[in-house]
Amino acid sequence: MSDWQSSPTATDYTIDELMITVLARQFTNEDQACNGMASFLPVSAFMLARLTHAPHLTWLAGAAGLEPKASKVPASTLESPLWADSVMYIEQYGDFWNYALNGRWLTKFCVGAAQLDQFGNANNSIIGSDYHRPKVRLPGTAGLGDMGSIGKLLYYWNPNHGPRSLVEKVDFISAAGYLGGGSEREDMGLTGGPQLVVTNLAVLDFEPDSKRMRLQSVHPGTTAEEVQEATGFELVTPESVPETAPPSVEQVRLIREDIDPDGMRKREFR
Amino acid sequence: MTDKLATLEDAVGDLVSDGDVVALQNMATQAAPMALVRELIRQGKRDLGLVVLVGGMAVDWLAAAGTINRLIGAAVSMEQFGLCQQYRAAVERGDVTVEELSETALNARLGAGARNLPFLPTKGLIGTDLIDQSENLVLIDDPFGGRPVVACRALVPDVALVHAHRADREGNIQYEPTILWPDIGIMPKAAQRVIVTAEEIVDTSRIRENPDRTVLPGFIVDAVIEVPYGAHPTSFYPRYGYDTSFHMAWAKVARDAEAAKGFLDRVVREPDTQAEYLNAAGGAQMIAAIERWRTT
Repeated sequence: MSDWQSSPTATDYTIDELMITVLARQFTNEDQACNGMASFLPVSAFMLARLTHAPHLTWLAGAAGLEPKASKVPASTLESPLWADSVMYIEQYGDFWNYALNGRWLTKFCVGAAQLDQFGNANNSIIGSDYHRPKVRLPGTAGLGDMGSIGKLLYYWNPNHGPRSLVEKVDFISAAGYLGGGSEREDMGLTGGPQLVVTNLAVLDFEPDSKRMRLQSVHPGTTAEEVQEATGFELVTPESVPETAPPSVEQVRLIREDIDPDGMRKREFR
Repeated sequence: MTDKLATLEDAVGDLVSDGDVVALQNMATQAAPMALVRELIRQGKRDLGLVVLVGGMAVDWLAAAGTINRLIGAAVSMEQFGLCQQYRAAVERGDVTVEELSETALNARLGAGARNLPFLPTKGLIGTDLIDQSENLVLIDDPFGGRPVVACRALVPDVALVHAHRADREGNIQYEPTILWPDIGIMPKAAQRVIVTAEEIVDTSRIRENPDRTVLPGFIVDAVIEVPYGAHPTSFYPRYGYDTSFHMAWAKVARDAEAAKGFLDRVVREPDTQAEYLNAAGGAQMIAAIERWRTT
């Protein structure tokens, strides 16, 4: 176990490393974490949490391999280099959902979306106004269309904060957030929902009453004005917005030397 | 014993008709029965519907070749190699329609198909726009007084295409190490016919050594074909990894219809046997690379 608790705050770090530490903080020893495809930042975060504050965090890699021993982040977060040496293989489809649909386990998911709106609704389906003749066909909802409706706590990560990915209203809801805001989600009987949006500029959450996206902290070197300018809708901005806590020297060392020496995490940034 | 041993040509020729709904095993860059996909294109099948959990290059090829006109699935992506551009263009042109389902909705549709039920419910998708775009999803009341659920109408594909590690001539299908792949658990059981390619066809005595590895019984399988490296360029754990350079080569040409057609001519239409295909795809050097990959 590394001496992470007494490690001083880093000055030499990059945004990907900051985002990884923010995501890692969301997971505890009591959680079961699971990652999907092209999820370099979440996988790095789970590995970092397991090497520091949450050594007993359970990890279901690629929704297939339980408690893998992967020594570093590979080029794919779905393929076997990530999970080949697990303690159990879970059928990625049918059996995975037997665990995930049950409310007791796998309660937190790190998820990504091509578009996310001011109420945390997500779109991975189409860009345009006609579903059947889209301007752009996106990959599809996969498991996210389920996660948004079954009480999961969702942690969105977005390495490319901009007005095209953070929009006032999504073109198509492929995963439920807080819908039209306020109590609309709750009124439909849906629990859980989006908790946090971790971007390359800031950390955002949702105002408890209106369910509008709110600036929680800005990353060092960025201002609240810059974050607002890069966002396609008006953020709820408290009078004073703190800076996101930077990673420690030891967290940065773990990410660079042990977790992701090949720099796969950099692939997520355009 | 019923001998199910077949050739790709006969199995696809006899068991797949134009207009059929074809269920395909696939998870992005993993475990697609690519030799069967190539045979669909070679035989010029038309107007097929494709059922796939997370489709990869196979979907892109079938869209590029004009083989499919509709897709029922949860996602299409080649993960690190990007979106499937030929598929994307075909959808944007209106040549391929998409019934986009969440994973639990597709699982429910296939589960109902397998069990001869009219539908199965899911609690996924509630609040999304996906329910309205499908005539096979309806929000219904819980007859026991709980919150509404989404009824997912039974889906019975005409034929399921599967790749496996080993099979005998009777169609008993084995996997190493287990039912790990996303769709072997349900798709073949929902489909009316099942075609399986296997890395090797073995004597039944070999199957009997590890009956716990048998994942599909011969009585539901219509044809088995021996196709070594039959999932290339997707990975087939633990036998071989995905072919990185082949995926990159396809991703490079896939934005251009002419270049994509040239690629498919070279690797799909011209090679007449699996050996010729493997040669066109890089031969012994390529095989060494995908076998080495599994350990890294």
